[in-house]
Amino acid sequence: MNSTRWVLAMIAVLSLGVACSNDATGGDTQAGTLTVRLTTPHADDGAMTFTVSGPPIDAAAAINASLRLFTRREGDSTVVGAVVGALADGVVITLHVPDVGAAARYTATVLEVADRQDALRTSLAGYALTVAP
Amino acid sequence: MRSWFLVLVALLAPAPAPAQTPTAGSWREAVERLRDASVRPARRSAPVAAIATSIVDESEPNDSVRTADSVALGDQARGVVNPANDVDTWFVDLTAGQFFSADVDAQELGSPLDATLVLIAPDGETVLAFNDDFDGFDSRISFRIPASGRYFVLISSFGRLQGGPTARYALNVGTVTCAAVGTEREPNDAPATATRFAVGESVTGQLCSQNAGGDVDYWAFTGEAGTTIDVRVDAASAGLLVDPFAALFAPDGTTRLMFNDDGNGADPRFQFSIVTTGTYYVRVSDVMGNGSNPFPYTLHVRPIVPGPGDPITVRADGLLIPLGLAVGSTGDLFVGDVVANRVARVSAQGVVTTFAEVPNPLGMAFDAAGDLLVASVDGAVYRVTPQGVATRFITDAVLPFWIAVAPDGRIWLTDVFDRTLRRYSSTGQIELRLDAIVVGGSGPGPLAIGPSGEPYFSQGTEIWRLAGDEFQRVVTDGALIWAFAFDVAGNIYVPSPTLGRIKLFSPTGAVLADTFAIGPDAPQAVAFGRDGTGATVARVFATEPRIGRVIEVNPTAVALPGLPVGFTAPFTPEAAAAALLGGAGLSAVDRQFLDELGNRNGRFDVGDFQAYLRTLNGLPVAAAVQQRPRSAP
Repeated sequence: MNSTRWVLAMIAVLSLGVACSNDATGGDTQAGTLTVRLTTPHADDGAMTFTVSGPPIDAAAAINASLRLFTRREGDSTVVGAVVGALADGVVITLHVPDVGAAARYTATVLEVADRQDALRTSLAGYALTVAP
Repeated sequence: MRSWFLVLVALLAPAPAPAQTPTAGSWREAVERLRDASVRPARRSAPVAAIATSIVDESEPNDSVRTADSVALGDQARGVVNPANDVDTWFVDLTAGQFFSADVDAQELGSPLDATLVLIAPDGETVLAFNDDFDGFDSRISFRIPASGRYFVLISSFGRLQGGPTARYALNVGTVTCAAVGTEREPNDAPATATRFAVGESVTGQLCSQNAGGDVDYWAFTGEAGTTIDVRVDAASAGLLVDPFAALFAPDGTTRLMFNDDGNGADPRFQFSIVTTGTYYVRVSDVMGNGSNPFPYTLHVRPIVPGPGDPITVRADGLLIPLGLAVGSTGDLFVGDVVANRVARVSAQGVVTTFAEVPNPLGMAFDAAGDLLVASVDGAVYRVTPQGVATRFITDAVLPFWIAVAPDGRIWLTDVFDRTLRRYSSTGQIELRLDAIVVGGSGPGPLAIGPSGEPYFSQGTEIWRLAGDEFQRVVTDGALIWAFAFDVAGNIYVPSPTLGRIKLFSPTGAVLADTFAIGPDAPQAVAFGRDGTGATVARVFATEPRIGRVIEVNPTAVALPGLPVGFTAPFTPEAAAAALLGGAGLSAVDRQFLDELGNRNGRFDVGDFQAYLRTLNGLPVAAAVQQRPRSAP
């Protein structure tokens, strides 16, 4: 094997290694669930719309049966949703993602909030959504 | 409690005034009587001669004729039956021929006293008359005085069991006056002076002796050969402790063809087939004869010609005063039992159970979320969950009467206090308040949603609808119209309580069948049945408040199923969510509808979406428990 062939062979091996690094069944990435935690200044939130963007998202679900979630995709990496129910501080949504290690790259934003009497919050100050493993 | 029953029977009976032409304001008066009855029962008997000229308080001891207190005609004597075995004795000097009246007001004034009255002759021993209950628990004696002298009136508690510092009474002492009542024209004590009326009408009068000869009332009508008539007198059934008697006389005025005393409780009722056309006479009299308490009555003479909806079938019996009627999504009947303060549920097998406790329920309808809305005499519309939990829902109407829910989920309500037709959002927020005095009659009363989703209502003898922003007359009838119902073609099943039958009109108000069913006694609310899926079916039910029944007309005569009732979701929650989250699919009108359903801030937002889910009963269970719509402004 001359030097040129050796270099090409090494490039091929390295290329294969890079390709395999995106395979969830192996390498250093792992599919799994992330949580979306709500911080709210109110105790009577009834409904909220939000958006989550970042790396790909496979699916989203409400944390339990006391909340009802509706979602709409905007491409592979953005989900807009509406969650209805007795919202409170804490985890409200779970995301199934291909790489839980990329949690920090997701951003979640509150779009609208209504109280339990259907009135829209005039200010979203104090609201936050945090995506975490 | 009995006074409630008496008052409500009076309310729900065909109007004592000429029944075919309800007086203006009668819806309102009816509901006001219901509202006030718990505070002050309505007076049902003939008045004494005059307003009290003076008030005389008792002076104990007055337990015997020797210690009796003095009272004069025109006075009001006041006292307290205390302790329970107390007897108050009053004396009054009377002249032969006077029609003396001693009338107790106790229950009517809120007193716990159940009084009894005794009239004693001048010898101080002979009992001439006794009365326990005449006007509710309150007693009254009317007595023709045979000889001048000093008479004694004794008042005590029933059974000498009650009494106490609060057992107060007022004893009105006077003579009976016979005021003109109803449609009779005195003198009508003989066939020659009989008051004429037509078969099918209900007429009213009073038995009251102007003189010692007593009072009988003759009524004349033209009977057609080949017809069968039903003759009925209502007096005791209106809550008075009286016993009328009725007889039918041939055209010669003397041959008695038929008579009856207690065919309907203490009231008379009979049927007779007429062979020869001519003038016939009904004589109404008092079994007690001359000298008893005067009382009003209603005489019904109806032709018995079966309609296609006959024979009827009794689906529920033993209710007190069933009025409002709504049919649930599984086919069960929900009946407002007015004096029982409850909504009763009637299963397909006719089993009656209490669904919810609501004060004096009137009109009822299921809302978009599947809750039952119930207008109450207490001024509120209650919302009753499927579990039977009732809460006050709409509270800004004064006298809410009838209620209906449109396909868009909006709630329509008639308020008989100000004669308005009102529209509310599905969450109970008032959206529209229309002054409907222009429709005349009694103003908006019983209400239903028509084929195009617009409200129709009865103003007494006519059905009107709201078309756009104007009222249009649809049906004109000579008889009282209560709560009607539509089939899918827009035909209208109309209950006529004063005529004792159900009629059928076309969508444009033409008579399709009169009579549709003669079997009902006095139907007041009609509704189509539903099957297990909630779809309306070709079965028609009606409430019969006077006799405490729910009946069904012959289903083979009901050609079409009923107009679907209640809310019809215009789109799925998923479609609404997609639009909320930036997708297409909903029109501008849809978005406006959702905004009006919710917070009405001019755009479709997450608050509106929440309201829509609530309307569809689509909130998560925990949230649905916590989230109740805001009160109406």
